[in-house]
This record gives sequence, structure tokens and C-alpha cells, in this order.
Amino acid sequence: MNRDGWRGLAVAVMPVVVLFGGALLGALRTSLQPAPGPVFGAVDASAWGDVLGDPAFRDALVFTGRLTLVSTVLSAVLAVGAAALLRRRPAVQAVFSLPVLVPHLLAAVLAALWLGAGGLVDRALGELPVVLVRDRAGWGIVLVYLFKEVPFLTLLVLSTWGPATEDRAEAAATLGAGRAARLRFVVWPAIRAPLLLGSVIVAAYVFGSFEVPLVVGPSHPPTLATYALDATRTASLVGQARASAALLVAAGVSLGVAVVALAGVRREL
Amino acid sequence: MSSDLATTAPARRRWAARLLGLLAAAPLVVLPVRALAETWRAPSLLPQTFSTRGFAVLVASGTRAAEAVTNSLLVALVTVLVALVLGWPAARSLAAAPRGRRLVATVLLALPLLVSPFATGVGLTEWFIRLGLTDTIAGLALAHLVYVLPYVVLLLAPGFSHGVDDLEEAAAVLGAPPARRLALVVAPAVAPTLAAALLLGFLVSWSQYGTSLAVGAGIPMLPLVLLPFIGRDPQVAAALSLVFLVPALAALAATVRRER
Repeated sequence: MNRDGWRGLAVAVMPVVVLFGGALLGALRTSLQPAPGPVFGAVDASAWGDVLGDPAFRDALVFTGRLTLVSTVLSAVLAVGAAALLRRRPAVQAVFSLPVLVPHLLAAVLAALWLGAGGLVDRALGELPVVLVRDRAGWGIVLVYLFKEVPFLTLLVLSTWGPATEDRAEAAATLGAGRAARLRFVVWPAIRAPLLLGSVIVAAYVFGSFEVPLVVGPSHPPTLATYALDATRTASLVGQARASAALLVAAGVSLGVAVVALAGVRREL
Repeated sequence: MSSDLATTAPARRRWAARLLGLLAAAPLVVLPVRALAETWRAPSLLPQTFSTRGFAVLVASGTRAAEAVTNSLLVALVTVLVALVLGWPAARSLAAAPRGRRLVATVLLALPLLVSPFATGVGLTEWFIRLGLTDTIAGLALAHLVYVLPYVVLLLAPGFSHGVDDLEEAAAVLGAPPARRLALVVAPAVAPTLAAALLLGFLVSWSQYGTSLAVGAGIPMLPLVLLPFIGRDPQVAAALSLVFLVPALAALAATVRRER
């Protein structure tokens, strides 16, 4: 059984590890050897120097980090609130979960149609008091991620905020625990692990995604992914190397954040 | 006074829950209207003229949009089929694995989900160029598999953890050969989980933008063709968006039907 177990797992784990590991190595090779040639040719790290010394890259890193932090924290907080409201309403839960199935690009299209200049909200109000699409602060991007990720995190929270947690909360209430105490000592321990793991997935996605910034984001500052995309669109081979270096920085940050988060909930997995 | 509070607080929560549902679903209503609106000048809240031009682009043969729908469908189907063949034994093993092994396998499978698909696509392109896989359906399916396979395995595994092995063993004791056990015992037992895993796997491939752009930029795919229309021709963009939405709506309908 043990051998069969590993063999069965390897059938799926190996292709993922080989393809994903190969992709990271491929990106590393492109970043260090811009010119086509043998796999193990002369190393040229100038693309890394160019990227790390580029003020536009630093702007993109800061902008992407800020978008990721704001989108993830707001999504997590709102998801806990939404789960509290929806936990006994399965019909509304089904409707509320619809954005989880909607592709990110489509959510960005909806934001452009509703919130863009001349969009439906603009027409209904006469004029939208704030710019929300292609704004420099990236609030349009944040709104699209909230539309997509709050329902996703709410579903994860609801997966553990079920009847068993409710029973414990009720017992705590009988013993005199207030609403805040029940949330802190009964509900939070139950929802912590799925919420944190879901938030890591959300943060990693926001950090690396570029279809949403392409549709509703500002032209400057770029996000890390749009910075990399712009680099690939230059005619020179150095552009590909710079794009790969920028994307590897983003991948490193995402994986680093995931390792820290996993360490935090290791015992609960 | 206290009874007023008791009746108004639940009512307020009920209305707040309904508002949340409305906020999640209402934005989608604009799509069919925009897809049929030939002229919709500001500041009017309603379109001036209607036409089916947006959908005509989709059904006209030889256009990039029509080709993109076909390619996206083909790649998603191939990817999900491969993911099912590889994911089925892995999901069974994952469900039966001890905690430590399950954790290691889950982390390894989930790693790609933490990295930008564009980064994965750019890295794969380095090798796919040498293997002649760039700008091919096979190359796109392989790149999408990096993201589809983890979802299929991780969603399918819980379906095998509810006594399916015991049921299969009972069928074997009664003399059922492997093919009959699969068709009559195992497949029906995991059918709801299997449907959810395949639908989500299809959706993940269907909506891939980053990997498709990096690996198959020469092949029209639905998300790649849709994006330029958003600024240039919102009517066509909305019509393409509706097509883009069809698998999601099918998944929702299947979920609601299953829960009934």
C-alpha cells in the first residue's frame, strides 16, 4: 500500500514538479543568458542589475506590494463579516459565490463597464465623484479583487464555521461570553487556518496577476507583471531577460510569504 | 423596546445578506444589454439602438474571435482530460495517505498556484522553443496542466475518503471485475466530486491569460482576443464576455442542482 500510495501520488506530483520546476529554471536561464545558444552557456547577469537598479521596477514593486496588502487584508476582513451574515442562508451563499466562478478578466470588464468614465454608475450619478478605473492609486484594481476574492475567502471560512462551531459559540454564550469573546475564542480558532491559507493564495495571485491591471490599472506605476510584460514587448533579447528577472523576483516574494504563512498554521493542517 | 430590537436586528441582517447577494450578482446583468447595444451614448442610462453585431463576430467563420472560442474549448478539454487521467490515481492515493505524506504532496501540488502564470509561461517558453511546442495546442495544454492538475487532484481527493475503498472491496469480494467496479461502484460514488473537479479544472484552463500569452501568443485564445476589444469595441467585448461566462454559469447551475 505504501509503495502504491507514493506511485499513485507521483503520477500527478511529478508532472507538476517537472513542469513548474522546469519553468522556474527556464526563467532563470533566460534571465542569465539572454542570447539563444546552448543550455549551459556563458552567464550574463546584467539583466538582473538593470532590473534591480531600475526606478520603474522599484515603483512597480512598491505599487504591487501595496495593492496586494490592501486587497488581501480587506478581502479577509470582509469575508469574515460576510460569513457571519451568510452562515445560515444557503440560498444567498450560492448567489454570493457566483464571482468565484467568474474569470478575473471578466470581472475587470465589468468594472470598466460600471465604474469607468462614461460607465453606468457615472451616468446614474451624473458624475462619479472619484476616479476608480485607471486611477493612479489602483483603487479600481482593488475593487475588482474584492469582487472576486471576498466570496472565495467567505466560502473557505464557511467550510469550518459550521454547526459544530455554532454549538461551541452557543455554549460559550450560555456561560456568559459576549459577542467579541465568542468571535475571539471560539470562531477565530476554527476559521484561522482556512482564512490564512486562502489569503496566501489571494496574495500570491494579486502579486503576480496582470489581466486586471491591464484593463483597470494606471499606465504608471505598473505592477510587477505589467512591468515584465512591457519588457517582453521590446524588440531586444535583453527585454526577455529583464522580464524573467522581474518575474522571478515576484515568484520569490510570493513563495517566501507562503512559507511564512504555512509555518504559522503548520500544526492546524 | 427590547422586542423591537429583537425583531429589527435579524431583519437588518437578512436585508444585509440579500444586499451582499445583489452586489455579487447584479454587475453581470450589464453584459447581455451591452452585448446587444449598438449605440449607447452617455449620459443615457439606456441604449439608443440594438443589434446582434457582437454575436455575429462570434459565429462568422474565419474570424479570430470564432477561432479563439474553438481553441480555448479544445485546449480546456484536452487539459482536463489529461488532468483526469493523471489526477484520478493521485487523488485516490492522496485520500488514503497518512497525514505527513498528504501534506508534502499537497504543498508540492499547490506550489504553482503561488506563482504568476505569466512567470511559469515565460519560463516554459525557454524549453518549449527547443521542443517545438510554442504556438501549439499541445504546448498550451501542457502549460495549462501546471495549474489545472493541482485543482483536479485536490478537489477530487475528498471524494475518495468516504468509504469508497470499502465499497469497491465488497464488490470485488462479490466477483465484480475491475471495469465493472469502476463503472458501477467507484464512479457513481465520486460522481459529484468528480463533476466539481472537472468543471473547476475546465474553468481554470478556460480563463488562463498569462500562460496562454507566454506560450501560445500566436494562437488566438478567448481571453487574449477579448482584451483588445474592451477599449476598441465594447459591444463585441461584452458578447465575448458572455461566451467567456458560459462555463461559470454551467458550473453554478450544476452546483445548485446538486444541492437540491
